[in-house]
Amino acid sequence: MISALDVSTSALVAQRVRLNTISGNIANMSTMVDENGENKPYQPRFVVFQTDEHKAGGGMAAVKVASIETDEGEPLHRYQPDHPLAAKDGKWKGYVAYPKINMNEQFVDALEASRAYEANIGVMEVTKSIVRQNLSILA
Amino acid sequence: MWPALFRNSALPAVEQTVQFAERRHALLAGNVANADTPGYQTRDLSVDNFQSALKDAMKASHATARNPLSAKTSGYDGLSHAQATENVRESMKQILFHDGSDVGLETQVTEIAKNQSMHSTAMAILRNQYHLLQMAISESVNV
Repeated sequence: MISALDVSTSALVAQRVRLNTISGNIANMSTMVDENGENKPYQPRFVVFQTDEHKAGGGMAAVKVASIETDEGEPLHRYQPDHPLAAKDGKWKGYVAYPKINMNEQFVDALEASRAYEANIGVMEVTKSIVRQNLSILA
Repeated sequence: MWPALFRNSALPAVEQTVQFAERRHALLAGNVANADTPGYQTRDLSVDNFQSALKDAMKASHATARNPLSAKTSGYDGLSHAQATENVRESMKQILFHDGSDVGLETQVTEIAKNQSMHSTAMAILRNQYHLLQMAISESVNV
């Protein structure tokens, strides 16, 4: 019975990781320089969930974050020739590369993650009430 | 004496029901946990299968109870876990979403609520049965 709690907990952990990556994406919405000081706009990250059969066993399906992927797509280019980070030559001469982050997408994703978190908390409450009932036989 | 005492009441059937509800709850919890996992197919235990298996086991048990000389199996041992609870079915009646997952959160939550009320009903009966036994043992209603 307790393993049902483990299953729900695994989902809580996974959803929190997802929320963390979304926070990171929104925080870095206008980050144009990477950690080494290179002129490289931030690439949004997203999590990939995977079923975890080994966590609880007995046909129960926990969930885990399989990987955190980076969106390798083209950044957004804005024409700002006077900007210090504007491209000096090439196809995007005079353009500045911005991270390609759609705030609406990120917020909807965050909302979904927090609702999923709530749903799992609800299931945990049910699990707890079942366990409490089982214990009440003893008392 | 003790096996006979417990076998002739509703205790074994109620016990199985409680066990089944718990197993099913764990699977349904897994469904909600994997609500955002691409390609995840919902898992469930068939309540109908369980109840028909329980019915058969009860019938068999009553048959052996009537003529005790031919009694070989005791209680509900005939109802193995393999039959009653391991029968995980891939339910195909859900909507399939674009990411290949078919977890309808509302459906799952409803099933959890139904399962919970099944569990609490069985628990109430179980508690009542024990109370009755206690009353019979102590020969007093004030237990």
